[in-house]
Amino acid sequence: MKQENKFSTGRHQEQAAESQTAESLAAHTAAREFQSVEDLLRHDAAQTAVPPEIARRLSESIAQPAPPRRSWWRKLLG
Amino acid sequence: MNQACAETQRPEAAEAQLLPAELSALYTAHSRAIYYLALRFLGDSHKAEDATHDVFLKALRNLNQFRGEASARTWLYRIAINHCKNMRAAWHDRHVLLSSENEFFERLPGGESPLRILETKELGGRIQKALDGLKAEYRLLLLLVSDQELSYEQAGALTGQTADAVRGKLFRARKAFADLFQKTE
Repeated sequence: MKQENKFSTGRHQEQAAESQTAESLAAHTAAREFQSVEDLLRHDAAQTAVPPEIARRLSESIAQPAPPRRSWWRKLLG
Repeated sequence: MNQACAETQRPEAAEAQLLPAELSALYTAHSRAIYYLALRFLGDSHKAEDATHDVFLKALRNLNQFRGEASARTWLYRIAINHCKNMRAAWHDRHVLLSSENEFFERLPGGESPLRILETKELGGRIQKALDGLKAEYRLLLLLVSDQELSYEQAGALTGQTADAVRGKLFRARKAFADLFQKTE
């Protein structure tokens, strides 16, 4: 019983140490990554993937002839 | 690793192979920056996709007008800013909904672990909410200066003001963003 208690106390300490390490790592990571707003936005931009559909749509649009330019008065009148 | 090597390893490089040679290099080097600007400025992934498509199509059709006085990134940003502003002005539904955010993150490359995607999604949503709460001018300035390829002078030229004015406004923009970002917790 005593041994079991000792074992469970040891596990609790281990778990506490683990969670403490995770917390300090998270805090460290957050502090390191986001020191400024620009830093945060850079991180966000790096995580943002460009949808592959854009290149596919572009290649289809390029294959079609360009639409004729609308004159300024047509644009104005709608 | 040199820049050219890094660029060929981007996922955009594989997709850019679908495009004509004159556009392929531009797309590989700048599509991420243009898409990100459009996404966070417009706050909608579908509109950002349309805007990025239109920006590169306009760039290709006006390639002869690019004289190399500005960097290609600055030239593309100028097209993107005008295009995004026009899109915003044309919207009847000025209130931007973030529902499309979910669909966007479902399209992240398969290599991301679920936890990573969850983190990204949460963070992206919080950033968007904070940016949406800013004046459009502050939002645009923060997005431009967060691009390390752009100087304050270039950001100023793109928004029609001096570098000193950019610095002054950035001070207020950062503070406003930080306050709004904290409220998203």
